[in-house]
Parts: sequence; C-alpha cells; structure tokens
Amino acid sequence: MEAYIYNLVNLIAIYAILAVTLNFIMGYAGIYSLAHAVFFGLGAYVAAWVALHVHPSIFVTLPAAMASAAALSLLLALPALRVRGEYFVAASLGLQVLAVTVFSEWKSFTGGIGGVLAIPPADVFGVEVFKPQHFAIVSIIALIVVIGLINALVHSSFGRNLRAIRDSESAAASFGKNVPMIKTLSVVISAALAAIAGALYASYMSFINVESFTLDTSVLVMAMVIIGGTGTVAGPIVGAALLMLLPSAISWIDFLPQTEVGALQQIIYGLGMTLLMIFRPGGIVGRRAAV
Amino acid sequence: MLAIQLAITGLQTGALYALTAVGFSLIFGSTRIFHFAHGATFVIAAYLFYWVYGTGWGLVPGVLAATLGAVLFGLVLDRLVYVPIQRHEGSFFTVFVASFGVGIAVQNVIGMIFGRGFTSVSTPLSRSAEIIPGVYVSPLAWIAMLCTALLLGALHFFLRRTHTGTALRALADDPELVRTFGLNPRRIAATAFVVGSALVVPAAIITSATTGLNPTIGHHVMLISLAATIVGGIGSISGTMLAGLLLGLAESLALLVVDSQWTEAVTFAILFAFIIIRPSGLLGRIAAH
Amino acid sequence: MTKVFTIMGALAACVCYTMPAAAADHTVGALFPLSGPNAVYGDVFMAGSDLAVEHINADHMLSGPMAIAYEDSQGLPQPAVVGMTKLVNVTGVPYTLSAFTGVSKAISTLAMRNSVIAVNGGGVGPDLADLGDYFWNVIPLANLEVRAAVPYLVDTLGLKKIALIYVDDPLGQALKDELETEMPKAGGELVDSFSVPTSAQQFSGVAAQVRATGADAVYVASYGNQQLQIVKQLRDNGVDAQIATYSGYAVPDALALPESEGMIITGQSVDFSREDPVTKRFVHDFKAKYDRDPTAYNVNYYNATLLYGILAAALEADGTAITGEALLAKRRATKSFDLVGGTVSFQDNGTLLFPIEVKQIKGGRAEAVTSVSFN
Repeated sequence: MEAYIYNLVNLIAIYAILAVTLNFIMGYAGIYSLAHAVFFGLGAYVAAWVALHVHPSIFVTLPAAMASAAALSLLLALPALRVRGEYFVAASLGLQVLAVTVFSEWKSFTGGIGGVLAIPPADVFGVEVFKPQHFAIVSIIALIVVIGLINALVHSSFGRNLRAIRDSESAAASFGKNVPMIKTLSVVISAALAAIAGALYASYMSFINVESFTLDTSVLVMAMVIIGGTGTVAGPIVGAALLMLLPSAISWIDFLPQTEVGALQQIIYGLGMTLLMIFRPGGIVGRRAAV
Repeated sequence: MLAIQLAITGLQTGALYALTAVGFSLIFGSTRIFHFAHGATFVIAAYLFYWVYGTGWGLVPGVLAATLGAVLFGLVLDRLVYVPIQRHEGSFFTVFVASFGVGIAVQNVIGMIFGRGFTSVSTPLSRSAEIIPGVYVSPLAWIAMLCTALLLGALHFFLRRTHTGTALRALADDPELVRTFGLNPRRIAATAFVVGSALVVPAAIITSATTGLNPTIGHHVMLISLAATIVGGIGSISGTMLAGLLLGLAESLALLVVDSQWTEAVTFAILFAFIIIRPSGLLGRIAAH
Repeated sequence: MTKVFTIMGALAACVCYTMPAAAADHTVGALFPLSGPNAVYGDVFMAGSDLAVEHINADHMLSGPMAIAYEDSQGLPQPAVVGMTKLVNVTGVPYTLSAFTGVSKAISTLAMRNSVIAVNGGGVGPDLADLGDYFWNVIPLANLEVRAAVPYLVDTLGLKKIALIYVDDPLGQALKDELETEMPKAGGELVDSFSVPTSAQQFSGVAAQVRATGADAVYVASYGNQQLQIVKQLRDNGVDAQIATYSGYAVPDALALPESEGMIITGQSVDFSREDPVTKRFVHDFKAKYDRDPTAYNVNYYNATLLYGILAAALEADGTAITGEALLAKRRATKSFDLVGGTVSFQDNGTLLFPIEVKQIKGGRAEAVTSVSFN
C-alpha cells in the first residue's frame, strides 16, 4: 500500500511540473499551447539517451534534457510571434502531430513504438534511486524548485511584462517593451522546465515510448491547468493531483467492470472541463466565477 | 497508373474532408465558436447510422436517424454549452475547452455503448471495379464525390440566394447588422449549427462503409476540419472546400514519396507552414491578428 | 429455522463476494488488454487463465486459494509498465502473465530488476526469446510461423512474389526481418513492403501500392482491429491476390469477416483429441464453461497459469518460499511438464517448442492444411 501511494506521489509530482510550466505560458502570457507533451517527450528521450550512453547522473541528464527542449521550443515560439488565439492553438496542434510522427519514426533515437528499454535509474550523487519511496524525495524537490522558479519569474518585472502583453500586445509594444523577445523567452523557459518532468519520468519508469507523449497527454495537462485554475499558483497542482487520483478513485468502485474504468475517467474529466467552463471558467482555485 | 489511382483515392478522401470541414468552417466562420466537438457530431451520426441500418431498418431511416442525431447534437450543444458561456465570457479558449470536453465525453460514451473496437457497415457498394486498366474505383467513391458536389452547390445557393444565408454570412462580420435587419443573431447562429452539423452526415455514412468506424475517429475528422478551415482561410467556404480536397489529395499522393506513417505529418506540415507564412489561408480575407 | 438459513446464506454470500480480492494466498499478476482496440484478446486470454485457476483451486494443488490480479495493458507498452509497476510494488506478485510483443518487451526490464517471472502466451515477436532468464514463452514465436508459411506459399501454392504490409512496431519489424531472410531461401521474392502506423485506419492508398507491385500474395503483419481493416480494404480496393498472415488473426471477429475467406493463416498446432488427462479435462471443461471450442490462445494462458500451479506446488512440497528466483530454479530443475497438448520441455532460452500448423479460412473457420515440426 505504501509503495502504491508513493507511486502516485511520483506521478502527481511529474505531471504537476508539466501543469505548472504550461500554466506559465497559458495563464501569464496567453499562449494556449497544445504541444506541451512534445517537450515532455523530448526531455524524456534525451535524458534516456544520455543516461544510457553518457552518464545516468541527474546532474548530467537534466541539463541535457532542458537544453534540447529549450532549443526545440523556438519552433513553437515562431507561430506564437506571428499569430494569436485559434491560429496558435492550430499551430501547436500541428507541431504536436509532427512531433509524434518523428518520435515514432526516428527509431535509432526513440525506439519507435517499441520505445527505449532498460533506462538506468536516476543517479543522485552516486546513489541509484528507483524505489518509489526514494524517488518521491527527488520528484518533490524538483517540483518545489520548479514552482519556486516560476513564482519568482511571475513576480519579477519579466512577469509584469508578460501580463502586459497578454492583456494588450500593442499597448505593451508602445511602452517600448521588446514583445517578441519576452514572448520567446517565456516559451523557452516553459519548455525547458517541462523537460525536467520528462527526464524524471524516463528514469522513474525505466521505459518510455511515444504513447506517453501524444496529443492526449497535451490535452490532459491542459485539462489539469484549466480544471485547477488558469493563472493561479495552486491551480495546476490541484488539477494535476485531482486528475491523477481520478483513475485510482474510480477503481475503488467495486461493482464497475474493470474494462470501463478508463472510459469513465475520460467521461468525468471531459464533462468536468465542460461544466467548469460553463459555471466557473476560472477553475477550482480561480477567483473568476461565472456571473 | 499508381499516381492516377492514388489521385482518385485522394479525391474520394478529399471530398469527404471537404464536406466535414465546410460544416466546421460554416459554424466557426459565422459564429466564431471554436466548435471542437464537430468530430463528435461525426461519430454520433456514423454510429446512429450503423445502429439503425445494421439492425435492418434500411437505408432511409438510417440516414434520417443520423441526420436527426447530428442536428440535435449541434443544437443542444449550442443551447446548453455555448450560449451560457458566451453570455458571461467571450474568450475563444473557454468555448474551445468546453467543446473539447464534450468531444472526449462523447467518444467514451459511444465506446461504452458500441464497444471500442472496429465496426463497419457491409455493403457491396464499397467493392471497387476496374474502370481503366489498373485503376479501381468503388461506387461509393462516385457517391462521395457526387454528394459533395450536390451539397456544396446547395450550400452555395443557400448562402448567396436566401435571406437566412445572407444573414449567416453577415453574422461573422457584424452581428449588429443582422439585428438591424430584424433578425435574431441567436437564431441565425442556431441555423449555422443545423446546417454545419447536417453536412457531416454523408461523410459519416460513407466512412462507415469504406474505412469502418471506431469511437476515436472523431479526433482525426476534427483535426482535418480545423486544418482545412485554416489552410482555406477562416471565413471562406470555398477556400475550406478547396483545402479539404487538397489535403485529401496530398495525404494520398504523399504515398508516392513516403511511407504511410508520414501522411498525417504531411497534412500538419502544410498547416504549420500556412500559419507561419500565410495565416490568412488560400482564399481568406480576415487577418490573423 | 428459515431465518437461520437466510442468515447463513447471507454470510456465505459475503464470504464469496470478498474472497477473490483479499483471501487468496497465491496471487499472480496478469497484464492483458482489457480495454482499447485490443480488448477482444483480453477476453480470449482470460478464458484460459480463469479456467486454470478453477482447476488448481478445485484440486487443492496449493496450500491456499489462487487468484489472478488482472491489470489493463490495453495491449500497449505504456499502460503495461504502469500496471507492472503496480503488480510488482503493490500487489507483490512473484509471477505474471504477459501478452503482446510491445507489452512484453516493455515490462521485461521490470521483471528482471525485481526478479519476477513474466510468462508470455500471446505475443509472437521473435525477439521475445531473448528477454532474459525471467521472461518465458509458452507460445512458439512468429519466426517459426514465417518459416512454416513461406515454403507453403512458395512451393505448394506457387506464389513466388510476396508483398508485405506490416505495422510499424516491434512485432511488424520482426516479421519483416523474418520474411526478408526466409523468402530468398525458399526461392521466392519479397517484392515490396509497406509499413503502416499502429493507429492507421485508411488503407486504400496502401492497397493501390500493393496492387501496383503485381505480387502473387500479400502478407499482412498487424493485429487487433487494424488487421481486419487492412484485409477488408485490400479486397474492397481490387487486390485479389492470396492473403497470408500469422496467428494474430485467429480471433472470432477476424475469422467471421466475409473478406477473410480463403486466407492462409499459421498458428501453433494443438492436438485437442489427445487422450492425456490434462488435455482431456481442459477440452471438456472449456466447452462446458464457455460453450465453444478452445483456441491456441486459450491453451497458452491455461498452460501458463497451470505452470505456476505446478512449480508453486513443488516449491511448497520442498518447504521453499515462493519467489521469482525459486520459481526460475524449479523450472530449470524440472525436465518436463504435463500441459495441454502434451508433455513439453523448455529450451534454454525459456521458450517452449510447438509444431506449427498452416491453415486456410473457409466459411468462417480455419481448417488445417499442413503441419510443420521444428526441433
């Protein structure tokens, strides 16, 4: 039972990192990305490759994963600078679909559907961490660091500039803000921090393949942010915990056939998203209630 | 020969893409509602047809049930989800998320009722015949192209020649203008949902006999519709139609060069390129900003 | 008096209700596709494993009741790893049943690291033979199937040029490699091969390409719903060539598809008419319980489950604790096992050998045309 709980703690921490980093661009910069799983995946693949071929220390895998995600995120920054709203959602969708194809086809690096097997456990100062209860320490520290970083950024002048751009791009530009620079930086930071989640995921699961990094994952993370509360500190974490606990909660319902658990979970979070948007578009934590 | 065959296959696929995409484009273009559950409409129509036709009720009741289901779903969604949201908030993203949620729920409800497996409607019409040596075309391919041509022709007439159609086109530019003509913008928006949802029905029915159905098929339908709408240019029905045909053709002809797992990537590479280089699309008038 | 009976009945009902989850002394795990497009296989696999559990418990083979903790793999690697993590860390099983090539490869690392036995009775990717000491196969792998199918297609039917449609995953890749080496050996030629993504549903374009190759036969290497769609769309789009495939096609939905008529399909040969007690009991009770004839998949998961019963009973007789290590040592120390289909021995790589049957689908049933033995 203990291991079960720690296992959940690890998964919640990893997805909370994703939700917090997505919230950073969605909530504060108004960049609604449906491609967050791309950076989660790239981080995981790079970390797995580095751990297998270079060194499994997280002080090697994490920086490598973050650097590559930051570089790739420029592809997402490109449409973010050109278009807004529906167009950007569509562009990020396009990037997500393209990335899934590349993840499936670049077999020498990603193993395709077969995935990457036998990824070594995370190495922290020479100690191999793979038991769920030990890994929980690593994942929770990582989550706290990411939350701390994002909070500091949001409350800095950078964060104020971001919000100014979200509310009115032209006004921010007329105040002499370097709009393209600030937008690009926010996307890069978000992607690099999301890669941390990927790296942790790869070493914790010891196996990764493209199925974990599809559009469904991007949607799930987006749902976490929205259900929790876009643009709030606690929202994404609450959302992540809620959606990760949902399947376990449903599986306690005895009379339900095992085969319907997955479907029921999806129905609950689908309808949950819809109802929240109608009655409380600010999310569970958000202050914005429907009038 | 292979190129001709693939072009014909692509036209068949493209014709169906065009129909579904025009439905989405009509709704999105006139009401600005990011109706992501359009894929769910497709799934509902397809499974209703499969169920009614499969239990032996025949073709006409099947088509009627599918149309009724699609139109009702569109209307109910507009009434119960979009209207309340738009009353207190205009953000496209709120509407999009709500619509997305409905799509997920519908996909899984259908899966629970009809099973998550593959089902198809069996008909001799899906069997291809050789029209010229080495080129096979099934009767359904002709039906698909004919349906598309007829329905899009009718839609054109409706939008250009009727009072409601003109109002529908005006709605996108200026809802107030619609009001000054003594029409209710809400009613006009509902009309857009009725027409747009009904347009997916032929595609849903033909798909149920050619490639077969599963509950997740709505996802692909939606992505293609969105891609065609943007590539064609938001607000342009003929642009969407053209883009739907082009995407179908590109997907099929791509097989001459790449393996089939790259075909979806081809579609979205085109979309990505359009957004960056020409966000207004093939025939679009509205700027992206 | 009636009241007493009512209370006793209620009590008994309670006991029965809570038993499977909590009271079993012997719990083994299973990672089967219970949802998703491959769920149809899950039912087939469970029919075999559940019957074996019934038999083991009815015979009191073990010191306490046995149960299987099923986890849903969806037939996909990622959910399988999550399920396996739960089985290993939470349920704490020493022995798991596995299925599907991708799933089996993905969980093999966890099995090895935690010394938990994983037994595959459904996946047929040839590289499943090399997943380490803790990974066993009670099913002949697809390299044997290809080796049986190719000579039949080339020599007996005279179909020299074969085109391949394969799903782009470890199983499809493995079958492609196998065909590439086997076709020239038999004097035939693999004229072209077309990969399709696991999620694809549209095959009219691929069908056109297959037709353009002018191949005498098409080998379809996919599974689940996709293989049905491929076969249907090949026929719909004017491909008249002979279609051949491997054991993954032996599911009721596929055999019943009108387009399947005349297909060549291979699979492990199980002689259900054997007179040995294990086979007789299996065949009789299977028909009684499920009201249909058993298939090779039913046999494999019955055997995989029974194998645990045999090994665990032997360990209990020795007074040894039942762990993955002990089960592995016991299997190595045991020369042969009486399972359904006869007395069999494991090869050193942990794989059982069975003869392969070449069958043709006629009127919704697969009828054997020839059988090939490997030794």
